[in-house]
Amino acid sequence: MMKMLTICQAEMRKSHRHNFNNRLIYFSMFLWPIIQFINAYYAFKPFNLGQNSPLSRFVPVNKLGLFLITGCIAYIFFWSLVQSAWMMGYERQQGTLELILLTPASRTLIMFSRAAANLIEAVWMFSIFAILTIFFMGGLHIAHWWLLPFAVMVLLLSAVVWGGFLNTIFLFSRDAGFLYTLFEAPMEFFSGVRMPIMAFPIWAKVIAFVFPLTFVLTILRAIVMDGKTLGSICIPLIELAIILIALTAASFILVRYAEKHAKETGNLTFF
Amino acid sequence: MLEAKHLHKSYTLKEKNGWLSRRKQQIKAVNDLSLTIEKGEIIGLLGVNGAGKTTTIKMLSTLLAPTSGTISIDGINAVKQPELIKRRVNMIAGGERMLYWRLSARENLMYFGRLYGLNGNTLKQRCRALIDKVGLTEFADRPVERYSKGMKQRLQIARGLINDPDYLFLDEPTLGLDAPVARQLRVLVKSLAKEKNKGILLTSHYLEEVEELCDHVSIIEKGHLLLQGTPRRIIQTIVKDRSLIVVMKTLDKENWHWLKQETDKLGIHAQKKETNEGTRVDMKATFDMTSSFLALAQKRNLQLIRFDAKKPNLEDAIIRLTEVHD
Ligand SMILES: Nc1ncnc2c1ncn2[C@@H]1O[C@H](COP(=O)(O)OP(=O)(O)OP(=O)(O)O)[C@@H](O)[C@H]1O
Ligand SMILES: [Mg+2]
Repeated sequence: MMKMLTICQAEMRKSHRHNFNNRLIYFSMFLWPIIQFINAYYAFKPFNLGQNSPLSRFVPVNKLGLFLITGCIAYIFFWSLVQSAWMMGYERQQGTLELILLTPASRTLIMFSRAAANLIEAVWMFSIFAILTIFFMGGLHIAHWWLLPFAVMVLLLSAVVWGGFLNTIFLFSRDAGFLYTLFEAPMEFFSGVRMPIMAFPIWAKVIAFVFPLTFVLTILRAIVMDGKTLGSICIPLIELAIILIALTAASFILVRYAEKHAKETGNLTFF
Repeated sequence: MLEAKHLHKSYTLKEKNGWLSRRKQQIKAVNDLSLTIEKGEIIGLLGVNGAGKTTTIKMLSTLLAPTSGTISIDGINAVKQPELIKRRVNMIAGGERMLYWRLSARENLMYFGRLYGLNGNTLKQRCRALIDKVGLTEFADRPVERYSKGMKQRLQIARGLINDPDYLFLDEPTLGLDAPVARQLRVLVKSLAKEKNKGILLTSHYLEEVEELCDHVSIIEKGHLLLQGTPRRIIQTIVKDRSLIVVMKTLDKENWHWLKQETDKLGIHAQKKETNEGTRVDMKATFDMTSSFLALAQKRNLQLIRFDAKKPNLEDAIIRLTEVHD
């Protein structure tokens, strides 16, 4: 436990100094998500959003703002981790990745600590904005007060697991940059950030269920918009748990495999 | 003691030879190499570019798995239990990479220290002590990107000592440093072995460095061992042409004849030359002629103005060796 905290602290300090050195980054961390949100909001505006419009079957038109901001915040959480995983390439180039593997520290722990450290740094500003917006917009409908921190925990935990998994994948290949493009638009679209997945055709639903973000969003929205109780969301919760466990297990296995592969081929020095 | 026995390492290269097909090719980087390092000893690993020095160091530091062969460090099998070994060894490479440039020296050390499980005051104190030791006290909180090459290299050394390793592997630690900075580093390395009792393996392209520091030297070529011994022994066994130059105020005909005869008997090839300094005698032999010549000079009471024994260096030795083997 102590070890875990130490490694977490190490990663946090490092990424704070390394990635958040420049004040401008805070600007972009804050502004970019807001633009995303506004963009999404006004994209819906031109449509007829009356009670009997076709869209209203899927989008809760009276709570469009809340629907989009929950989508945005969850998306930012997940997206920031794709970006942080991309930084693994830098560590490889700089040779520090090799030095990390020279230490006895648990590799999986490093992968997940790194995700946690970067996540907190990257999302706190937008989170405050989102909370304030929700507060002023109103329309929250929550069954029990404690479901709110519960929802936040689910979001945080899933994002960290997702981030740890991505870090692991980037550990593998210097060409993992392709994942960056692979994830950017699809994750936003297929996870139902702007459109509920219910509105998707079957093939798109199948893709949607690959991203844990899909389940996180379902749970988050059920809790904050529909006032669902724990009992009524247990199915998506279980589904999410299964995906998270699978991702964690996969990370464990992949980290080991990546290190073994690196030991055989010496590919860590390639960049 | 670190003992590596019969190490082999081959890399598989996949070469494209067509649209989809690939040809596999094996590169033998290290081929049946054995070496030992005792605590408190500095071992030199020499060889031309691509001889397999870095590969060897990476195998010893558990970053690479040997294709075959064993490495045991203080009785622990390094291939089977790398987690235990990682606490006892560290590696330092030359060059400016392998540091977080945006972090300061202290932050770099703190980060790596934490990965070794250090924390709290122990960590802080160790970082401070190491920063002082490598002379970066003044710059400790400045980002590394503003450091000079020498400062970065000193920070690398501090980083390599963060887990207080028993064995330290240095891969060209003085790469690209100028003479005074390199000398400082050598003093530090020597004191690590002699005062802190660490076992050190060093690769280098600067031969005087190896000659000055190392207790034993292994010369490798294309991954296999050519020769192992003390730097002096190696020079003695390989370098055949030694030269001795002496200058005398005068050397009369009789003495010169006598000298020529005596040196011929000993197998020394001597030549006389008149210079404005005096009479110069150039001698060549396959052994160290110093003592034999001095004995002769004493017999006839020859007055020497200059006495130059040219010491062959490792560079000559290696060049000669590789020539023989090609
Ligand atoms: N990861 C790798 N994959 C394939 N071949 C490699 C790899 N690393 C090194 N080699 C090859 O193995 C051989 C030994 O390389 P190594 O880096 O150990 O040499 P070196 O003695 O350190 O050379 P230098 O003095 O240039 O640093 C070389 O032929 C090199 O091309
Ligand atoms: Mg090398």
